[in-house]
This record gives sequence, structure tokens and C-alpha cells, in this order.
Amino acid sequence: MSASIQRRPGERLRDNPLVGRALGCLALSFVLALMIGKQEGTQQDFGLAFREAILGPRIVWFLLIGVLVFLLLTFGPRVQPYVHRPGIRPLAIGGLTVVVAFSLLKWTDSTVVSDGKFSTLSEAASKTGQLAPLARTFFTPPLPWVLFVVAFAVAAAAIVLRKAALSWVGVALSVLVGLWAWYSHSLVVSLLGTPDHSTGALVALLGFLAIAAACAATALSAEESANTRGFVNRIFAWRPGMPLVAVALVLGVMAFAIATWFSPSNQNATLVDTASLFSSTGLAPLAKAYLSWLGYLLFVLSLALAAFAAYRRDPRLAWGAAVLGLVSLVLNLVALYSISALGAKSAFDGANGPWDNLGTGGWLASAAFLLLAGAGYVVATAGRERGTIARTQSDVLAGIGKIPGMSKALILLVVAGALFYPPMATPFWQKVLVSEIGIYVLLAIGLNVVVGWAGLLDLGFIAFYAIGSYTTAYFVGALPIQPPEWMRLSPLLCIPIAIVVCLIAGVSLGYPTLRLRGDYLAIVTLGFGEIIRIVAVNNPGNFTNGPKGAFGIPTPAIHLGPIHIDWGQSSLQYWYLLLVITGLVILAFNRLEQSRLGRAWAAIREDEIAAQATGVNTRNVKLLAFAIGASTSGVAGVFFASQIGYINPDNFVLNNSILVVAYVVFGGMGSLPGAMAGAAVLTWLPEFLKDQVPAEDRQMWIGAVILLMMIFRPAGLVPARRRTAELHGFDDASSAETSAVPAGEGMGGTK
Amino acid sequence: MSAEATQPTTSTREVVFDVRNITLRFGGVTSINDVSLQMYRDEILAVIGPNGAGKTSLFNSLTGVYTPQEGTITLAGRSGDTPQRVIGQKTHVINHMGVARTFQNIRLFPALTALENVKVGVETRMKAGPVSAMLGLPHQRREERESTSRAYELLTLVGLRSRANELAGSLAYGEQRRLEIARALGTSPGVILLDEPAAGTNPVEKRDLADLIRLINRELDISVLLIEHDMKLVMSVADRLVVLNFGSLIAEGLPEEIQKNPAVIAAYLGTSAEEAVAEVENQPELHVIADDTSNMTSLEDAGATPGEETP
Repeated sequence: MSASIQRRPGERLRDNPLVGRALGCLALSFVLALMIGKQEGTQQDFGLAFREAILGPRIVWFLLIGVLVFLLLTFGPRVQPYVHRPGIRPLAIGGLTVVVAFSLLKWTDSTVVSDGKFSTLSEAASKTGQLAPLARTFFTPPLPWVLFVVAFAVAAAAIVLRKAALSWVGVALSVLVGLWAWYSHSLVVSLLGTPDHSTGALVALLGFLAIAAACAATALSAEESANTRGFVNRIFAWRPGMPLVAVALVLGVMAFAIATWFSPSNQNATLVDTASLFSSTGLAPLAKAYLSWLGYLLFVLSLALAAFAAYRRDPRLAWGAAVLGLVSLVLNLVALYSISALGAKSAFDGANGPWDNLGTGGWLASAAFLLLAGAGYVVATAGRERGTIARTQSDVLAGIGKIPGMSKALILLVVAGALFYPPMATPFWQKVLVSEIGIYVLLAIGLNVVVGWAGLLDLGFIAFYAIGSYTTAYFVGALPIQPPEWMRLSPLLCIPIAIVVCLIAGVSLGYPTLRLRGDYLAIVTLGFGEIIRIVAVNNPGNFTNGPKGAFGIPTPAIHLGPIHIDWGQSSLQYWYLLLVITGLVILAFNRLEQSRLGRAWAAIREDEIAAQATGVNTRNVKLLAFAIGASTSGVAGVFFASQIGYINPDNFVLNNSILVVAYVVFGGMGSLPGAMAGAAVLTWLPEFLKDQVPAEDRQMWIGAVILLMMIFRPAGLVPARRRTAELHGFDDASSAETSAVPAGEGMGGTK
Repeated sequence: MSAEATQPTTSTREVVFDVRNITLRFGGVTSINDVSLQMYRDEILAVIGPNGAGKTSLFNSLTGVYTPQEGTITLAGRSGDTPQRVIGQKTHVINHMGVARTFQNIRLFPALTALENVKVGVETRMKAGPVSAMLGLPHQRREERESTSRAYELLTLVGLRSRANELAGSLAYGEQRRLEIARALGTSPGVILLDEPAAGTNPVEKRDLADLIRLINRELDISVLLIEHDMKLVMSVADRLVVLNFGSLIAEGLPEEIQKNPAVIAAYLGTSAEEAVAEVENQPELHVIADDTSNMTSLEDAGATPGEETP
């Protein structure tokens, strides 16, 4: 491309490709300016929107975008060699994360600060006399941005120049700035004295840590060709479990030093404050001891033991660390229960039971202990042999060169997040987690069986969800036609029935239609989905109560002898129920994928004729995929009906079917973690955008995200091993994703 | 030349495939025209003929992919089976009756590993259902172990043990051919149908392949029905040959008889029988007569559409 930059003498300006490109980029900025922002004129002044978009000062920003795109296109090839340098990706991710944290996220929930975003908060904080000087300095308007730019620039310079010393400066700088941001935020929170669930400071800290990691990767990788992925692999190959210990260290320090443990109204008590607050109350001695000294001791001990075990690769010590971590976790939860129960008994701030009014600290500490226990487990099971690192793309696809403990560590991180993040979140996000993210993750897992594994495009998947919901409504007696008295069930008991009903529905849809393939099957399933919805709207005898739907579906409850659990209205409790159900489904499906049925699905997806000739009963295998997918969807339906309490046909429109397909494709067809990640991200995104963009623009942004994803990562967020092969071909020797470095090498080689 | 050992004595030997007067048409085109043939237990029977002679159509009729309009096919797949009708049966049922096959244009499951490809074959003979897989019940785990060890045995047999964890699609062409054979053997067949197993392979691989075919036949006691264009290979492994041309059976017999058969030579060279005989005498070793490039179909080519084999 650089050849085209040189202009030959006598060539007219108009023929220069650069001019065309520049004009194109600027035109793009105008289009963007028109698309983003207010689009309505007024009756009196039709040109208003146009003038605001194009003639206002904001156009400068859009023109800058155009210039940026132009520069990228023109100088892209020169930048290319640097893209695979170690650290470039974490640097980019970290930079973006910090920008998002600074510009989009809330830094406080307090109503004192109008929208809680960083800029308004920093305006307010810099003028507040009572705020500790350290925090006031941080929030003085241009300073945080300047700090970020400096840290980013140092990191970028270190990567480009390959200077180890500069890299370490970058590490120190980014970590310091990140911690400073978090600490200033917590000072603001304690000054405002209201409970706080904002994520901005935490996300900013994570972004700065990513920048620090980018610097560390540069400092520690000696090889010319090494890249970030290879670096991560080498860390795991060096000492499995150590990364988990590092994460636990950060979480634990935040929990024990800065974070709030107890936050009834006007209190944001850190662990020290909480200990003194409860010192003269009737708190159980164990919990008192935990708050005042035992907690710190346990954290230091289990951290040291896990780190030492990981360093020595000693299985026995590692089991010790695992047990110590779990014991500490239990003690931590006991202490949290004790203080919140005592607080609730004295009716602090309208608490109506244990677990209310707790701050983030206790949950962060729980996550830290879980990760330390997990690190012990990873070390204990990884064994002493060093992992080999995949050398080619096909090695990776074939699962060769798996780094011991890497997937376990990732699973542990996700589990820790799923267990201990929700209690820290605002009620709004708890609700989103249950009624959007959780349910759609379950649906995506089910559809992944049909679309991802068996390769059958099903556009009417939501029908089974509807069948599950209406089955529940019938058996709890919420429909106009009632079941006989002895058949009335509690919602939880409806789960097996819904599974059976959906199995039957899946088979009866599949049996006549599965001789169809591809697009034809998609159209038939689309029709099926609509039939189910329309029958729910309008049917003789009106047994579904038509468009009004069913209401008064009871919440799930268990009454077994002395055990009484009622899920009631709290989203958090549903989240844990959903977590258990989803966990069981994942375990079962993971085994299924590795079983002969999983391979048979892959076989018919790859080549149906060959599968038949190899003796695979393709009809039965496809029917099983349909039925198993459908029954998962049915479980989600039961859960949905009993959590929301009312259902109507509008919950089951075609759009939802298409969305679930989009989630699976976005996440990575045929990949269980992919389908879950896809559903989670794409259900989280609209809720996140609620705060950021006008409601009518939301779909456009989601569409843009999907579009970019399909262009740059067509195999999905977490590509399936089996599917990646199809998209990338088999002789991909370039393998930019993997490094040719033997395990354990390159660590500590700082030259 | 191993034909001297296995002179067929038609009256006493057990028949595997008994094909009687089958005719297969695609619209107006007759792909197979009134063909009758018998295949006997434990023999290596080769089907040869020029391109478009109806060889693959015959294979597809034998395995239930195509349904001939006329005639009958009966099958006694494994030794001691009672003969059963083939026409009208589903492909996978015929496979369960003991017929395994490979394809002219390799049809593996490219995104599964070599091991998994073979396991798919082995596991079609197993019982454990989805529920026992989800719960990880003991008998399912036992079957899983059995299928893995059986698959490794078969990979060792075809010389792919060291490539077990490679993706099938990333294997070399000749390796893919052998993997396809291993997958077919995984279904523990009584008869295996090999459709041009040597197409696109080099001379060394061809020799190995001949050894492998003999091994399958002699050691594993599996009858082999072979379509092949490479006459050297065919003549060296086949016990008996049948020759198809334009959908009709034009000759049947021992390799040396077929080599001298004027009708066969005419069919291949497109000349009159007398000229052909003269030509053969000048050039005794008939070698790769057919246009071999036509068999170098790519992996993407799903092939096997009706009419592909018709002239």
C-alpha cells in the first residue's frame, strides 16, 4: 500500500488514491455525525437536526474519527509488524477498558452526584473540602486522564522500543494509578456515606492492571516472535495455579484493606470499622475474632501456602492450601452471616434478614479464598510435568499442548464471579442477571445442542420455551382449565414434567421434518414457532387464556420436613437456583459432547452421507438433538414462568427465537462456553446501553457489535475446537495465535 | 498374483452379495443395466471399468444409497448370516448388517480427529444412550474405554497410530484414504467396499495399500469388494474381477483371463477387439489406463450426485 503513496510527476491530484481515501474517510465522519445524536427537527425548523449534527462544534470529534481511520488505512501496513508483539493486545484491551470506565460507567450510586459518571463525580469531588487530599488530587479534572495517557504512552513506548527497564516503570506506574483510582473512589464512597454498587473504579483498576500486564509481558518475553497468548501460556506452564494466586492477592488486598464490609445507612465500614462497630455487641466470638484478627491471618496464611505450593509444585502442600482456602471461605461466610443477621435483628436500615446491608469486602474476600482453594486444587492436579505448548493451529484444535490447569483456572474464575459478584451488584443488575442473562444462557445452551452440535438450524426454538412455561402454568393451576386436584404441583416439580413434555414436542416436530435439511428445516421450525405462539393467543375453548396469558403462577418453594425454602421475590435467590440448574445442565452436556452421541452429532453435521454409511442412525441422532435441546428450553420455561409469575404469548415471539440463534452464533457455534458467553454478552449489552445511548439507538449499537464480531472473529467469542477447523482450514501454518516456544522457556529472560 | 490360491468353486462357497438382474435408471439414463453378480465369502473381488461404467452406482445400490428399479440384491453380511434383502433398506441398516464402505472422493469428518473418526464407526455398535452419557454411568464409561482402545488398534493397523490426535482434515491425502478404511473397519464389517482407494496416491503408498487390503482380507477375514483404476494394483490383489462398461457387465473371471479378454480391452481402449489384443501384446503390463486425474476430486467436492457416473 505504501507504494501507492508516492506520486508520480505529472499525475493529477484527482488520480491520487490517497485523496479519494481521505475524502471517503471524511464522508464517513459526516455519516456517523448524522447517525449519532439527535435526529428530530421541529415543526418550525426542519433543518435543526442537520445543523446540529453537521454544523455544531461536535463535528470536530467525528472528523477526528475520519482522520484516524484514514491514518490507520494508510499506515496500517507499517503498524502491522507491531501488532503481534507481546503485550499489544492487553495494552489495547486495558486502554479501552480504562476509557470505558472513565467515560461510560458510574463511579457512585449516590444521588448527591447527578448521574454518577466519572466526569461529574470528579467535578464534584475536586471541589469538596472534606475529601482526603489524596482523593481530591486524583479527581482534579484533567489529572486522571493525564495519568492514563502517561501510563498508556509509557507502556506503548516500552512495547515498541523493547526496553525492559521502561516496561517495569510502566508496570509500577499503571498499578499505582489503578490503585490510586480505586482508593480515591472508596474515599469518596465513605465520604458520601451511601451504599455503593458502582463498577467504574473496579473496571478502571482492571484496565490499569491489564496495561501493567502488557508491560510485564514485554519485559519478560525475550523471543522476537513471542506474543501475548504465548506469554500467558508460558506463565501457566511455568507454575500452574500461580495466576490464580495473583488474582486472589489483588482481590484479597482490596477486600481486607479498602473495601466496605458493612454498609447500613450512612455507614461504609471497612473491615477495621466493622470490627470496632461490633466489638461491644453480642456477636458470636468466632465472628468477632474473624473480624479483628483471624480474617487477616487466614488470608495471609492461605495466600502464602498456595503461592508456596504453586512455586514448589508440591501436590500435598497444594491439597493443604485447597483445604485451608475452603475452611477460610466457610469462616468468612459465617462471619458475614453473623454480622448481617445481628444487624438485621437491630433493624439497621430496614434490613429484613441476614445477608442484607453487606458491602463488597466480604464477597471479595470470599472470591479470594475460593480462588486460593482453587489454585491449590489446580496445582495438586496439574502434576509435576511441564506442559507442552501447541506449535501449530491444528495442535491447538486437536487439544494438543494443553497447558495444565489453564481451563480449570478459567472455570474457577468464572465460578468465583458467578457466586460472589451478584451480591455486590445493584438490584437492577441482579434482576437482569436472573431474568435476562441467566435464562437466555440456559436457552442458548439448549439451542447449541441443535444448531451447534447437530448442525440443524432451528428458528422456532422459543416454542419449546413457551411449551415449558405453559406446562408450568397448567400444573400450578394458573390457566382457565385446571388440572385435577391431585396433579397440582409446585413449580419445581414441574421441571421433570416440562422436560418430558418438551421431549415429546421436540420428537413430534422432528419426526416428520428432519428429513429436510438446512434452509428448509429452518423454515419449517420457524413455522412451528409461530404456530405455537398463535395457538397460545387463540384456541378453541381458550385454554391458554388468550393474549391475557396466565398469571398468579406461584414462586418455587421447597417444604421437606424441617426444610422450608421459598424463593419469593428476591432476585439473588433465583440467581443461585438458576446457577445450580445451569451447572447441572453444563456438566451433563459436557459429558454428552464427549460421548458417542456427541461424536455422532458432529459426524452428521460434517457429512451426513458418510455418517449413514458408517452406521449412524441419522434420524434417531437428529431426533435426540432436537429433543434434548427442546427439554433444556422447557426447563428455562418453567424457571421463567415461576420467577416472573405471569406469562403471555408476547413473551414468545419470533424475534426471541432469532435472538437465541444470534447468541449461539455470536458466542461460537458448537462451543458450550461460547454459547453461554454469547448469550451473556448480548443480553448484558442492551441493559448496559440503557444508560449510555438513547433507547431508539440501542438496537443499532447491538447490531454494530454483532457485525464487527462476525467480520473480525467469525468463529465466535469462544470458538469451538471442531468448528474452528471448518472456518480456518486445516493447514493454517501462520498460527499467529500460538507460539513455538517450549513450555517454561522465556520466563525471566529479560534481555 | 495370488489368484492361484483361491480359485472359486461356486457351488460350495458362501455368497455374500447375490445381485440378480439389477437395473438402475436416473430419468432416461440407465446407469446399471441388468447386472448380475455374486460375491463370495473371503474373496477380494474387483470391479473395474472405464469412467462412467456404473461402478460407483453399483456400490451405491449395494449400500442403499440408490434404489435400483429392477432386480434383487441379497446380503449375508457376516459369516453364517441368513441372506436378507438389501433393496429398500436404509444405508445405516445395511451397515449394521455388516457392510462397510469408503468413498471415491474421501468423505471423512474433517473437523474430528483421526481417533474420533474411527470411534464414530466403532460406537455405532454400542448401546449406551444419552442419559447414561450425561450421568457418566459405569457401562457407558466402559464402552468409551473399549471404543478408544479399539480405535487405537485400528489406527495402528492402518499405520496412523502416531497421528491419532490430528484433525482428519489436516492429514495427507494417502493418510485420509487409510483413515477412511480404519473408520469402515471400526463398524466390524463382514464385507468392505473400497471405492478407488488408490486414487491420488503415490507408488509407495499404492504398494502399502495392496498389503493393507490383503491383510484385511486374510487376517481379519473380511471380504473385499474393490473398485480401482490402477490395473497393477487390481491385478496384484484381486482374486477375481468383474468388468462393467456402459452399465453392463461385460466380463467376469480371474485376473489373467480378464487381461486377455478382447471385449475388456476394447472397452478400455475404445478400439476394436483385434487391434486391442495386438496392442496389449506389445505392452503386457496394463497400467493406469483410465484418466487418473478425474479421480483427484477435492475434499470439498461432496460428489456422489446421481448421474455423476453416467457417461
